[in-house]
Amino acid sequence: MSVIVTLEKKPLIKFDVQKCAFCKICELSCSKYHYGRYADSLARITVVRKSPLMLRCHICTRCEKRFCIAACPKNALSYRGGNIVVDEKFCDSCGICVKACPFHGIRLHPETKMPLICDLCDGDPSCIKACPKSALSLVLLPEARK
Amino acid sequence: MVKYSGYKGRILRVNLTNKKTTTLDFTDEFAKKYLGGNGFAARYIWDMVDPRMAAYDPTNVVAMMTGPFQGINIPTAGKYYMATKSPLTNGYFDSVSGGYIGAQIKYAGYDGLLITGKAEKPTYIFIEDAKVEFRPAEKMWGKLTGETQEMIKEEIGDPNLCVSAIGPAGENLVRYACVITEYRAAGRGGVGAVMGSKNLKAVAVRGSGSNQVADPAKFEEWLDWYSVEAKKIPSLVAGLPIYGTPVLVASINNMFGAMGTRNHQTEVFEGWEGISGETLKRVYWSKDTACPACPIACSKVFTVKDGKWKGAISEGPEYETIYAFGSMCGISDSGALIKTDSLCDEWGIDTITYGVTLSFLMECYQKGLINKDNTDGAEFKFGNDDVLVGFVEKTAKRQGIGNLMAEGSLRASKVIGSDSERFAIQVKGLEIPGHSARALRGMALGYATATRGGSHHDPRPTGEYAGVSDRKAVEGKAAWVIGTQQMTTIGDSLVQCHFLERLLGFTLTQKFVDMINPVTGFGYNLQELVDVAERILDLERSFNVMAGIRRKNDTLPKRFLEEPIPDGPSKGMNTDEATLSRMLDEFYGIKGWDKTTGIPTKDKLVKMGLEDVALALEKL
Repeated sequence: MSVIVTLEKKPLIKFDVQKCAFCKICELSCSKYHYGRYADSLARITVVRKSPLMLRCHICTRCEKRFCIAACPKNALSYRGGNIVVDEKFCDSCGICVKACPFHGIRLHPETKMPLICDLCDGDPSCIKACPKSALSLVLLPEARK
Repeated sequence: MVKYSGYKGRILRVNLTNKKTTTLDFTDEFAKKYLGGNGFAARYIWDMVDPRMAAYDPTNVVAMMTGPFQGINIPTAGKYYMATKSPLTNGYFDSVSGGYIGAQIKYAGYDGLLITGKAEKPTYIFIEDAKVEFRPAEKMWGKLTGETQEMIKEEIGDPNLCVSAIGPAGENLVRYACVITEYRAAGRGGVGAVMGSKNLKAVAVRGSGSNQVADPAKFEEWLDWYSVEAKKIPSLVAGLPIYGTPVLVASINNMFGAMGTRNHQTEVFEGWEGISGETLKRVYWSKDTACPACPIACSKVFTVKDGKWKGAISEGPEYETIYAFGSMCGISDSGALIKTDSLCDEWGIDTITYGVTLSFLMECYQKGLINKDNTDGAEFKFGNDDVLVGFVEKTAKRQGIGNLMAEGSLRASKVIGSDSERFAIQVKGLEIPGHSARALRGMALGYATATRGGSHHDPRPTGEYAGVSDRKAVEGKAAWVIGTQQMTTIGDSLVQCHFLERLLGFTLTQKFVDMINPVTGFGYNLQELVDVAERILDLERSFNVMAGIRRKNDTLPKRFLEEPIPDGPSKGMNTDEATLSRMLDEFYGIKGWDKTTGIPTKDKLVKMGLEDVALALEKL
């Protein structure tokens, strides 16, 4: 599955709360893909369990408002090719973007302190491939009119 | 640092008395010799705890361990391992539970925690990488496990924080109090009570590190092998993912006639259909859940949508709980089971021991040994679900007859007297789970000789259900049982559940070696792995010997030795005293334990590289 992301379509990793079994394999596969090791602190997707039946998936939704971009005091974030991209030259690891994201889709790398944001693994998200319950899927939404 | 992968080479020692922490580094040889989890804890507890000391003595240790597999993407290893000297059995005891806290311990830079001492006031420990905080837990004291976890998550400000907590049962030293992480329990043997005796309400861990494997290419190969081969195992593609462990009810009850009923007065339950996996799935199922990193997702959330217990919701009950609450107490309404399961998790009580202790008291009531004057006015009749549900809280608070229930069936039988010990369904004080010691010969010998007593995770019943070992045979059974105990010991050291046994082997095989080597880089051969298991088992046995366990304790409830199963598919089956004795001789012979006393011989211990242990036993 490879997806060519165009500016007209907005990619979204959809989460099926009923199918998800809270195994967190998505988190492990994310960190493995990006860093070659297993760690939830390096994952750009996080699943949180609130009660026996209530699960939340925290990941960048490519939302319309782009709260993170607006909040960044260093203009280090931009939206390109369907992803929020970090310009590490400008980022000073202040963490304001982490707090600004209402979807809890950003965390800072524990060592470099750079923001970690879902980048769809070059169009073939490893979390979707790894999920044993098929709870994650990639959908393309039409970009809302400005 | 150790050169092998999967390890941090470091154990965190926490002393609650003086609030001091130290780290303990171990060597490459230590890792290879003891593997992890079970092996590490057995060694450290041997080194640190006097086996003759009371379980509630502050010098007792609560070990919270991981193996090389925690925090990596390997099926059925999303677990953590706890061990201590048990207040229920007075011996070495361990309990393994699902939970992400195992991975977090690893990510925080440790292979395990060793907690000792006693806090002056209720405390919880928060570990974040190198930082360890002793935080006041007064406001959580008396709170249920769910609320406690929530309060700690809120206080730290992390909804994803991993917290292992005890409930009021642990605080009140219920001898079989458990430790709860999320909704899963390190259930058996009273680890929660030992935490309670230390005024330790919870342990919370968050780590920013990672875990890696030694040979990524070989490991990928193994994962590919797993995903192809696991699909060929019916229990891994249908049984467990669809129904979870309750799938066992129908076959164990109907095919084997081996489901203890009304305190093992029989082993066929006429009300099985109401508590079967099929009924639970059809009527109560809401959701599949998994231990971390496990694709099987055998855990089920059940909701009661109608009837007397409407509104109850629980992750579980699992098969053993269905046996303990259902057939043992003569209750066929799954609603009551789901309600009680959630209450036991919240109050922090082991479901197996609670159900089996209650069924013992129900038989005492049936026989007139106790009456309404003793039971706070309640009718302790088989089938009375109000008692099952209602006495969880009383047990956790040790109120009324709950104070007796909190002691477990063996101690209760000593209070009640009248030879009631003959039908207290326990070995070494630990209540026997739902795999018959009468219908499965291996389980008879297995329970009798297990370090923990009545535990189905020391010997395993699965190979006998599968027919790989003839469940009626006496010949060769000792070797079989030793094999299954070695397999579970390695599983508990990797801190991996035993549900891969149908794939990897009921006893240790090359497949275990092929799974371990790519992760660790040990380059084990099969014999070396078997020796690791034997070393750990001998160490556990030596601890128990020091605590007073001998051959005479390696036995079964009188009921099992003297009364064959009265009806059903296994009618007439049991293992009598003489047969058990014959199997024990053979068992000790193969193990290299003394046949008269059951003490590991010096030769065997030296062969296992346990010279210091041999020396300690010589002084007895």
